[in-house]
Amino acid sequence: MSAIAGPQTGESQQTRAVFGTRPLLAVVLGTAAAVILFFALRPFLPDAWSTPGSPELYLTGVLGGILALTPFAYFLAKRSEHSDNPPAWFIAHAVAGCIGVGLLVVHSGLYLRRPPALLLAGGLFLIVQGAWARIYLAHRISGTFGGKFRAFLAPDPPDKAQLARIIDAKRALLATLDAAQSEATFRPTLAHWSAHPILSWRYARLARAEMGLIGQRRAVSPAQAYWRALHMAVAALFLLGLIIHVVTVTFFAGYVADGGPIHWWHLADWGGPDR
Amino acid sequence: MSRLALMIDLERCIGCKSCEAACKQEHGLGPHEYRNKVLWLETPGKPKTDFLTVTCQQCERPACLRACPVNPPAILKDPETGVVSIDEARCTGCGECVIACPYGAMGFDPVDQHAVKCDLCADRRAKGGIPACASVCPGHAIHFGERDDLLAMAAEAAQEPLDHDHYLMGPATVYLPSDGAGDAASEDAVPSLLALVADAASRDPLKAATMEGPYRAPRADRTADRVVPGGCNICFNGCPLKFHLKGDTVVGISGNDEDPNFQGRICPKSQMTLQLYNNERRLTQPLKRVGGRGEAGALAPISWDQALDEIAAKLMALRDEHGAETLALFSGTRSGIISNNGYLRMFSQLWGTPNIESTEPFCSSSKNLTFGLVQGNRALANSYTPTDIGSAGLFFYIGDNQAETRPVYFGMVNQWRKQTGARMIVADPRMSATAGKADEWLAIRSGTDMALGLALIQHIFANRLHDERFCENWVAGWSEWRDFIADKGYTPAWAAPITDIPQARIETLAEEIAAADGCMIFASRGLNQHSNATQTNRVFMFLAAITGNWGRPGGGYFNMSTTHFIQANVPLARRAPIEKPAAGRSPAAWLKAMTDGDPYPVTAMICANNPFSNWPSQERVREAVGALDLIVHLGLFPNEVCEIADYVLPIATGIEKGGVTRAADERRIVWNDKFIDPPGEAKPDGWIWIELGKRLGFDDVLPDRYKDVTVFWDEQCIDHKELGDCTVEHFRARPDRTIRVPSPDAGTKADETLYREGTTAFGHPDGNRFGTASGKLEFWTPEQERAFAALGLSALPEFYSESEQLIELPYVVIDTEKDFTSFPKMFSERPARTRPARIVDGSNDPPSARLRDQGFDTELITGRPPAPHFHSWTHDFWQAQEMWPDLYVQIHPDKAAKIGVEDGGRVRVETTDGAIDARAWVRDGIRRTAVYVPIGWGEHQPFNPWKPVNFLTDHTQRDPIADQTNLKTRLCKVSRA
Repeated sequence: MSAIAGPQTGESQQTRAVFGTRPLLAVVLGTAAAVILFFALRPFLPDAWSTPGSPELYLTGVLGGILALTPFAYFLAKRSEHSDNPPAWFIAHAVAGCIGVGLLVVHSGLYLRRPPALLLAGGLFLIVQGAWARIYLAHRISGTFGGKFRAFLAPDPPDKAQLARIIDAKRALLATLDAAQSEATFRPTLAHWSAHPILSWRYARLARAEMGLIGQRRAVSPAQAYWRALHMAVAALFLLGLIIHVVTVTFFAGYVADGGPIHWWHLADWGGPDR
Repeated sequence: MSRLALMIDLERCIGCKSCEAACKQEHGLGPHEYRNKVLWLETPGKPKTDFLTVTCQQCERPACLRACPVNPPAILKDPETGVVSIDEARCTGCGECVIACPYGAMGFDPVDQHAVKCDLCADRRAKGGIPACASVCPGHAIHFGERDDLLAMAAEAAQEPLDHDHYLMGPATVYLPSDGAGDAASEDAVPSLLALVADAASRDPLKAATMEGPYRAPRADRTADRVVPGGCNICFNGCPLKFHLKGDTVVGISGNDEDPNFQGRICPKSQMTLQLYNNERRLTQPLKRVGGRGEAGALAPISWDQALDEIAAKLMALRDEHGAETLALFSGTRSGIISNNGYLRMFSQLWGTPNIESTEPFCSSSKNLTFGLVQGNRALANSYTPTDIGSAGLFFYIGDNQAETRPVYFGMVNQWRKQTGARMIVADPRMSATAGKADEWLAIRSGTDMALGLALIQHIFANRLHDERFCENWVAGWSEWRDFIADKGYTPAWAAPITDIPQARIETLAEEIAAADGCMIFASRGLNQHSNATQTNRVFMFLAAITGNWGRPGGGYFNMSTTHFIQANVPLARRAPIEKPAAGRSPAAWLKAMTDGDPYPVTAMICANNPFSNWPSQERVREAVGALDLIVHLGLFPNEVCEIADYVLPIATGIEKGGVTRAADERRIVWNDKFIDPPGEAKPDGWIWIELGKRLGFDDVLPDRYKDVTVFWDEQCIDHKELGDCTVEHFRARPDRTIRVPSPDAGTKADETLYREGTTAFGHPDGNRFGTASGKLEFWTPEQERAFAALGLSALPEFYSESEQLIELPYVVIDTEKDFTSFPKMFSERPARTRPARIVDGSNDPPSARLRDQGFDTELITGRPPAPHFHSWTHDFWQAQEMWPDLYVQIHPDKAAKIGVEDGGRVRVETTDGAIDARAWVRDGIRRTAVYVPIGWGEHQPFNPWKPVNFLTDHTQRDPIADQTNLKTRLCKVSRA
């Protein structure tokens, strides 16, 4: 049998940025320890560190919010064609997201009976779930290899005619969405979503239908199948909550202060009680 | 260019997982990081285990690529070759591709958190090579090339590829389905993975594994700076290898593609010796016991000088008190042939103890003895070449699971028989991997092979199907055997209820063997590890002889493996006198001497093997060995013996010390040079025997220069006339470092097939075709009859089985009322004690009936685990543990249901000697009345410790002629643990 040359690929290419279990744990536990230490030392710090909205805690919140936005930058960057190093972006999302949420906890001053506490809960969930996925679930993901052997035997094969119809529909749609692409390797990118949101959505729906018919997610555990979807859904809610919080404290400072002093920078104090 | 692809022939796949091992070393993968994986699948109602090699399908429409959220994607598809590859530098480790692949063929690195996948070894292809998996596959099951060419190849062989494109992905990988025996399951039955290897719990222990050598190392760190030839020192396949070295580190092990027969094919064990040479658990310093036996941390490092000085002093004190025979020497696999038959043999002759044994009495002493008796020497006559074994018309395996014990040889056999259309029949109590490839599986009752052989012979004679000319000319005693068998009525009708094989099938099998144009009969431990082993081996040799299957290409009797003629000897004048006979011909006979001083005290043992794993009756063994005054253990890894040893000495292995590999079936010897240093202060065992000998005054015979194994080999080991060509220089002149013997000189090439008509046995008078005194195959001679009679038996083959069976069968007992005698010289090289035996009619108050009344209602069979394991030493290799983690009990679904155990559940197996627990492997491929437990596990192994199966075996059930122990057939109880 003759040897057939091929390109160099895979592990032999450029060095990959690695964020293993130990550094991940170090970031998560280090942040948690720093936050706990802060609250343990807070009685000994100036009152501003205990006053919601004080310049110190306000700036802490601003910094935390900016860091907590890094994961969203990662979300966009890895889909944007402009990222040379997605794993580095992943590390940035994990580190900045974790520290950002930690700063937001500090910013909260542990006033947890107000709606922004939900934001903190979401942030903490994202940290814990993300760490769980990397530390624990990764081993289950690796255990998936060979676990779908029935696909070779297909005791319960999918409806091939239906599959073929879906694929045909995708091809037809792709001719409009991006005629230069092949259905075999195509998935809508950020550019497609920006330029043709409805077509992209229709295409994604067909792709989901194909996946559903094949049953790829059903073939793995629910945790493995849906952890990432849940992670992104909570992250979206977190982002939404963050935006609402910023808008509220900036324009509805009176409502937020609820009759108390407003220490933080704001543009309007709409929503406060009449005095 | 057409799409590139692999073609995986599931009929040729033997489930050995060599492709997995090759992939992991090629790509530096760690535990549970896969680019390919061989699955073992069980289907309810189907006795056959199916294998499925899962690897990337290189799909036309790769779902993995379309699932990748990164842009540009981290997964690429080469438009020319269709190869789908991953750019790990862009992968964020989200795992979506793993979910998306419907074939479960996308791997994931759980440590560095990224996807991994097969790219058909792009790096190797770039250098003109083929994928690693295809380069090593022993079964010729993996082919690589352009897909159209592969499909044409399948069509030419009239093989219809499996249609597995259920998802319209356009998979490029071609699967050729299995068509072997046992495809009897209903269409509704769904295969399942073995719980034993599929559950998460079995993966957890490997989190503690440390990575050395090429695993998880960057490509640059595992790229060799030199490649040198040698051989695998683990099993009897003796595969020629190439060692890939970077400095003093072995970073790769591949098959030697310059060997014309092996063509680079090797099993996973050879490759996993990477985890032997690079293993941080290796013993690296001499240790001395400073606390009580069995106490944790009671061993302290000492210098070699202190260790050897103290051992020598204690040995001399014990010799003064009890005599030289008080020292027992036990060696085996790890030591290697040069140590066992060279350094240690000479040491024992200088010291003067008769009590020196290897593992032979537990493995092969019966067949070694038998070949000597019948053929005049122990060399197997045939060779694994297309023109010899490959030309056989029928392959009949009995008691030999070659697919797992010598997978590369079996791969050759299976390939040849696929090409020639030869049939393959396997008699085995369970459907082994070998049986799974055969045309037919005969589920014989364990311990009754002799009955089957006798009935086959009777039917052949009764129907005059034998080769009369061959019998007349070349078989001494054939008519005595014929008449005896006829008189005894050993007919197929008689054998059917004994063997559980229908009479008609025995008759047709006999006719097939007689009619075949060359029948290769393969036997192994399944025959040898019985109390009737010598006679059973003789019976099947006789079957081969009377059908003319001896001394011809494609016809012969094989029982692994060829015993070398390597026997270094001390000059007679320098040998210490042996004053008393050995306590027996087996270490099993030493136990009474160790505890009771009967027939004399054995108070010291130097063991270069693991008696706490491989000796039968472990409760008794531990009591006896624990009673010794001095235990010295030569080892590679900490093990159970280290818990009680007074001194533990770290040894070198393989290319750390050089020397020849194990004895291969076909008279091949493979040479290893010393290429790397052993770890720490570990030393070659030859060095240890020389240094210890020096302290005992043996240095005139074992001088320092013999520490150089090349000097020792050339001067001491190839004295035999058949080894004249086997100098180190001549080995080094061959690219595969291999010489087939007999090879008296460089100008004489060893015959592929020995003893062919018209030839003379090497070193014998003209006309003597065989190596016996008569020049014939000797089955009955007056001399033999006298020797057998001295042990209470006859050279004629009277049937008996084991004492513990589910039906009443004759069995043998050592007659304790008779005086001790010595084994006749015909049976034993050196004097050894025994007592005469007698065959007992099983119908008169049989022990089996009493045991059955006590609930021992199941046949216990023991044997080898799958190919990646070899005795206990592979249990220190993390990858062997990844492949086969836990000790298991193969059990029929009916019996499993009866005791309420599901696949993977915990089962207790109990005999009158002890009990062990193991995990259930529920399968139809075993007799309903039997369970099977493999050897090799131990309680102190690093990843998956279990009590060894030898807690269940009985050291007293031994073959009276060869002193070989019955390890194969007992009655046991099984219950849910």
